[in-house]
Amino acid sequence: MKALSLTGLEIAQSIKKGEIAEDEVFSAFNQNIKDKNKKLNSFVDVYDQPLKSCATSSLKGVPIAVKDNICIKGKKITCASKILSNHIAVYDATVITKLKEAGLNIAGTANMDEFAFGSSTETSCYGVVRNPWNKDKVAGGSSGGSAASVGCRQVPLALGSDTGGSIRQPASLCGVVGFKPTYGRVSRYGLIAFGSSLDQIGPFSTNIIDCAHLLNVICGYDSKDSTSAKVETDDFTKALATIKKGTKVGIAKEYFAKGLNSEVKNAVEGVISVLKKKGACIVEISLPHTEYAVATYYIIASSEASANLQRFDGVRYGLREKRPNLIDMYSDTRKEGFGAEAKRRIFLGAHSLSSGYYDAYFLRALKVRRLIKEDFDKVFNEVDIILTPTSPTAAFNIGEKSEDPISMYLSDVYTISANLAGLPAVSLPCGFTKDNLPIGVQFIAKAFDESSLVSASFTYQQETNFHKRIPNV
Amino acid sequence: MFEFDVVIGLEVHVQLKTRSKIFCCCPTEFNSPVNTNICPVCCGYPGVLPVFNEKALDLGTRVGLALNCKINNRIYFERKNYFYPDLPKGYQISQYKRPLGEEGNLLLNSGKKIGITRVHLEEDAGKSIHKQDYSLVDLNRTGTPLLEIVSEPDISNPQEAFDYLTQLKLILQYIDASDCDMEKGFLRCDANISLKRKGETKLGTRVELKNMNSFKGVRDGLMHEVKRQKKVLEQGQKIAQETRLWDENKCITVVMRTKEEACDYRYFPEPDLLDFCISKERIEKEKKNVCELPLVKKERFLKDYKLPEKEIDIIISNRVLADFFESSCNEYDDIKKMTGFFLGPFLEQINLLGTIEAIKISPGNFAKIVRYFAQGKINNLSAKKVLSSAIATDKDIDELIASRGLVQVSGEDELFAFIKEAIDGNPKAVSEYKGGKQQAIMFLVGCVMKKTKGKANPKVVKEMLQKALCQ
Repeated sequence: MKALSLTGLEIAQSIKKGEIAEDEVFSAFNQNIKDKNKKLNSFVDVYDQPLKSCATSSLKGVPIAVKDNICIKGKKITCASKILSNHIAVYDATVITKLKEAGLNIAGTANMDEFAFGSSTETSCYGVVRNPWNKDKVAGGSSGGSAASVGCRQVPLALGSDTGGSIRQPASLCGVVGFKPTYGRVSRYGLIAFGSSLDQIGPFSTNIIDCAHLLNVICGYDSKDSTSAKVETDDFTKALATIKKGTKVGIAKEYFAKGLNSEVKNAVEGVISVLKKKGACIVEISLPHTEYAVATYYIIASSEASANLQRFDGVRYGLREKRPNLIDMYSDTRKEGFGAEAKRRIFLGAHSLSSGYYDAYFLRALKVRRLIKEDFDKVFNEVDIILTPTSPTAAFNIGEKSEDPISMYLSDVYTISANLAGLPAVSLPCGFTKDNLPIGVQFIAKAFDESSLVSASFTYQQETNFHKRIPNV
Repeated sequence: MFEFDVVIGLEVHVQLKTRSKIFCCCPTEFNSPVNTNICPVCCGYPGVLPVFNEKALDLGTRVGLALNCKINNRIYFERKNYFYPDLPKGYQISQYKRPLGEEGNLLLNSGKKIGITRVHLEEDAGKSIHKQDYSLVDLNRTGTPLLEIVSEPDISNPQEAFDYLTQLKLILQYIDASDCDMEKGFLRCDANISLKRKGETKLGTRVELKNMNSFKGVRDGLMHEVKRQKKVLEQGQKIAQETRLWDENKCITVVMRTKEEACDYRYFPEPDLLDFCISKERIEKEKKNVCELPLVKKERFLKDYKLPEKEIDIIISNRVLADFFESSCNEYDDIKKMTGFFLGPFLEQINLLGTIEAIKISPGNFAKIVRYFAQGKINNLSAKKVLSSAIATDKDIDELIASRGLVQVSGEDELFAFIKEAIDGNPKAVSEYKGGKQQAIMFLVGCVMKKTKGKANPKVVKEMLQKALCQ
């Protein structure tokens, strides 16, 4: 069917014009998802009937995948964890309500790292997601299912969540657009929490135009989320225009240091040239506390996660290992229900918060977090956006880092700071390695300036075709 | 034998009087069927987020101000982590490092001031119902707003703890922050108690005492604990730092957990809620809601009404009562008559109604009844009748008296026939009276009252009878 090769916006327009029927679109994608899923394992649940309403928007009728940690009423939502493997959500997350109100059709739930703990989608209880460009490579994580499903055009759009790069890093590894909005832009109500002060829901798409349309659907203040921001919701499609001449693009030297793969470096430098050609002014900047970001992040995110995961105790929902006494029920349920990485993060977080260690770990991490934020505040007095690689390497082999958590954690080194500072950031495909693996570039803007990211992305994609390449699955 | 000083500090949890829970919209109603006042938020379902009910902030601020606390202008919540089946999220949203109020005090009836360390907001947990070989959880109470009020270790004996609680409850009821009904769990109290040798400055090892279900229970539990600790110390042994439970039936305290078993709650700032700034205007507004506190009122009443302290204590034991009394006295200033009728028939009627809330009569109408009674327009019995008809309705007093024909008959002309009838109809009583049995006349008075349907002025009747029988 023709729809399978269209962008999200094109599908909606064709439906509107009466060229194709919404139901046919849905079933075509449904079959497409099932076919490719055998090879990629990107979906957890595939819906045969669309969850839709009669409301409308510029994306009406477009199928969308939703990461398995966003609650859809009446559906199995599990965070790819055994402990929630039988959990049916009892309410719709705010973003799901918004998708339904915009007439998008939820096609199913996307695979992910267990509770979003990971950068490779290898910790899922449903097994690893394979990279659409090379089945032996990871799709990145934690939103690996969402990224791979858009990458191989199983669906034109997907939602993911980003706590330390979980949208942008897999987007980069799968060759798609992944957008993390400003903390507070999208309601977290109904997103099963990992690191509450860092988590943010965001879109995946093949191009920035679809992305801007989807941002319009999901952004906005929500009284059910106290951390959601009471700011005007911009029409992001208005930013789909070439950047203004003289737009200042910051290049931070800390993001081009040791550990950055040379092919990635070259591709990202190519982006700089394109933007320069379109009138951008390149400014060298410094974000001096960058080297502490990974450590800071793993303390804060794990601490919050350790508390967020306390509710999975076998009492009210999810897995319960029946035992004659309470303590055994608790410990055996959690022992059985959580995977190794989840346990590692719970230990790490509980330790960082425990009496005697709180000041040295958690409190100190909060202080460094402030310094990192101040670095950005300073830099954004000088530049409009910051340009960095999204990930230090292209997709790595399945199993390559799964026994070495530190090297896995370091694959988020460029994406973590935006979460710590609460800033919006986007990853775009910007090239391929000689092994034909996608490479991503990241733009970061100041809080609530998603529009600058949309403009920069639009400008770049007008000049290049990397986002149009489709893997052969 | 040594002499010991007793050192007690109390931690009181009170349920704030809000209609909905502290972090969701569920009602706080008491006694609903189990697990009906619940939603995904208070049940801690995956993905839910708390939203702060600011009414709890206002009430908490009001309590802080009434206890002379310094109110922090910026507060935040923290997570207190522990596992328990009736704690759905696995953590309680509470306050730790920056409580709502600090450094306050509470004045006891005795004139002693007890320091208040802090007051802080938190959510309540649910209720576990333990059966023989399983337990059930009721989450109706989960998320009810609580204020924890922590005293300094300034309390020197179990009776003083009792007095502290009595005064605290009275204040909370006065400012309409909590109903403080201990039976419904609206007020709960834990105590910390230690003993030290008289004159010693260093505090002894403290024991935390839980599971007291009444103020009396607190006093009894502490009394027992004083005895127990004294005995241990006198035998030259050490007090173990532990948490003990008061067993009301056996009248003993038993170990619940030792210091080694104590929890590390791993408090950290609640990332799902933002910091709250409490504006000056907000504090000023709550200052206005802190009414005249009970002990201040008591002083004033003692001065203004010159009544015995015991009577004043009853009058001020409830703010609505005290205000009603005061307003009534402003309408009619025969304080003695007013107090008599207030503490007598009025309280009797309230007891019959079962609740002060049922009172509808205005102080003006109440004062009118007392005035008519004092002036002899209606007699005692009629006054009570009028009161019982008007108390829950506030009907017009004059109309009631007229419609029910309760105006007292004092005229000798009108009463003459009834007097004669009573004397003629009861020769036995007449002869007994004449024979010197003084009380016999009351029987005759009763006959007249009966015949006049209670309207006769008994004083006049008695005088007329005496006069008639002397002849």
